[in-house]
Amino acid sequence: MKRDRDRGKVEAAVSGSATAPSAAKTKMWAEPPQPDAGMDELFAVLGYKVKSSDMADVAEKLEQLEMAMGTTMEEGAAVLSTDTVHFNPSDLPGWVESMLSELSNSYNFAMIQSQIGISGESSSSNQISFSNDRQAVQQDGAKFIYDDDLRAIPGGAIFSNKQKDVVDSENENKRMKSSTGSEFTEKGSSLAGAADAATAARPMVLVDSQETGVRLVHTLMACAEAVQQENMKLADALVKHVGRLAVSQVGAMRKVATYFAEALARKIYKIYPQDSLETSYSDVLQMHFYDTAPYLKFAHFTANQAILESFAGATRVHVIDFGLNQGMQWPALMQALALRPGGPPTFRLTGIGPPQPDNTDALQEVGWKLAQLAESIGVEFEFRGFVANSLADLDANMLDIRPSNVETVAVNSVFEMHRLLARPGAVDKVLNSIKAMNPKIVTIVEQEANHNGNVFLDRFNEALHYYSTMFDSLESCGLSQPNSQDIVMTEVYLGRQICNVVAYEGAERVERHETLAQWRGRMKSAGFEPEHLGSNAFKQASMLLAVFAGGDGYRVEENDGCLMLGWHTRSLIATSAWRLRAAV
Amino acid sequence: MAHELQQNERREEIEKRAKFCINDNMDLLIEILKRLDDRSLGVAACVCRLWCALTRNDSLWEHLCFRHLSPQPGGVRTMVAALGGYRRLYMVCVKPVMTRLRLGKVRWGSGSEVERRVWSRHEVELSLSLFCVDYYESVLLGGGRLGGETSPPSSLMILCKAVNV
Repeated sequence: MKRDRDRGKVEAAVSGSATAPSAAKTKMWAEPPQPDAGMDELFAVLGYKVKSSDMADVAEKLEQLEMAMGTTMEEGAAVLSTDTVHFNPSDLPGWVESMLSELSNSYNFAMIQSQIGISGESSSSNQISFSNDRQAVQQDGAKFIYDDDLRAIPGGAIFSNKQKDVVDSENENKRMKSSTGSEFTEKGSSLAGAADAATAARPMVLVDSQETGVRLVHTLMACAEAVQQENMKLADALVKHVGRLAVSQVGAMRKVATYFAEALARKIYKIYPQDSLETSYSDVLQMHFYDTAPYLKFAHFTANQAILESFAGATRVHVIDFGLNQGMQWPALMQALALRPGGPPTFRLTGIGPPQPDNTDALQEVGWKLAQLAESIGVEFEFRGFVANSLADLDANMLDIRPSNVETVAVNSVFEMHRLLARPGAVDKVLNSIKAMNPKIVTIVEQEANHNGNVFLDRFNEALHYYSTMFDSLESCGLSQPNSQDIVMTEVYLGRQICNVVAYEGAERVERHETLAQWRGRMKSAGFEPEHLGSNAFKQASMLLAVFAGGDGYRVEENDGCLMLGWHTRSLIATSAWRLRAAV
Repeated sequence: MAHELQQNERREEIEKRAKFCINDNMDLLIEILKRLDDRSLGVAACVCRLWCALTRNDSLWEHLCFRHLSPQPGGVRTMVAALGGYRRLYMVCVKPVMTRLRLGKVRWGSGSEVERRVWSRHEVELSLSLFCVDYYESVLLGGGRLGGETSPPSSLMILCKAVNV
């Protein structure tokens, strides 16, 4: 009688038809198991080799498999049709495990886990047993090697280590834990056969992986780690997996993951896009960025306010713009100058820009348009454009600066200074040139992030956090945008930056962002003093945000005289103003 | 009987009043139009050709923009005129800025919302700056970006769309 029930239950499970197996199961396990350690005779008759001692285990797994298949079928995922080769199905325990592990890589994995964890069934610590030794044995064998080497996925690593955490579903599900877990290192390195003692010092993260989003982040970080360790085979497998996981996401997370995966892929395969493509559309892309998000507007308005205040009382003013682009910053300043009490000064603008691939004089065109505007509003205007590959190629003499009793000089740099860090000595040379220009004020706007660390992994994690926040903020802008093309172009603009931070090295990695604190140190040691942005700038910035951003998640913060714009708690760009330190 | 007499009297009064045509008294008409809000001005523009021409008069819109502001900074008028006029200023910048900043909307009798709060210097400055940027972007840069884009530069178009606040 007992054996009939045994057989019936297992058969039902295998054929996939659900017949309240748990009820049958509890009845079944009330009876004592077979005393002998050999293969179960009845199963052998059917053609399945199962050890009697394994039967409890196998039955449990069959149950899970059934659940997994059920849920997978509902979702209609094509997971079961992947090219996985299962050898020796008569080895029932092994077959069940391979099926489970295959299914576990679909997004139902998380669901199963939560079901298992929360349902309170007796769970051994090896539920989905990716036991190390088993895999180590099979590593070299032809069996059980899937297309994408899924053993290396951190998800499995988390689960075999942290079973107890699955049931504890009280954990806050923080998507962007920036610290890497050293458990990844252990799993990855033990499987890859290389132990890296240095990374063991990193803090461990206990995360409740209930979302694919979290898995996605983990996989990205594991991939970056693999790249850092030069383990390209593993990195390759992981980056493909990221691509798959990313597709199941929506919104900002998906875009960020896609861009980072692409950047990692470029780094792994060493495929870099043509240089000419990079520079030709950067102006256009930045225009879209200007239109979509408030960051550039914030930058321009705060810098303009500082410049305007420093120009008080001057009759001839000269602004040197380190990155003219389309000159979007200057109409507002000219307008403010035109309306100031006492009338506008003579406004001279020197714009610096990179050489254009098609040899058009883009700078001169922009200058001409600004001149037209100046004429309309009644401001005397003079323009000069300088084409330079790098700011370090310029000299103060070239710019024809007039003496300070004749004209007041302001130097403005929006997102340009960090590029100089790619070449040693460049930034110091430029700072010296600035000093030689004898400016009344220097305004610098930079991204508030440290993407210039020496360790690739740290840089990667920082960038992941920064751009995720940035993309999140764009999602809110997207709600009110009539033109979705703008948003797409903005994402491309940011995607290029991501690619540069992650995939490039040496002189070509120009997006070397540094934090305000770092820039402060640099400016101070170069001989500059901070100029506090006043309350006017703060008010204007706050108003600007209220107008353009619906006031939802954006925050303007004042940081010791500098203004920062951020999304919720994370500051993303910072404006600071400087003057020459008075000679003692 | 007495009731009929009263009705006749009223009818005569109404007829007398009807002979007074507002279109003959332009000053009065303009004074009235000055007090309207933008939507009403739009409605008024549809009444007849005269009213249409009057409502396009920029000084009406200037009044609408800055009626609550004490003396304007000098030179604003010329600048605004050069950049496209007060009507455009209102539609592109002033109105969105006011709505976004929720400057004390008060419901008037008929339900139309009129801003009662006095503008501060900052808001004026911001509006003018945005107006200038808009002029630069749409008039001067307009065709240059992406060569042949059908939709106009949208830096300030975001202001025209209601924001999910």
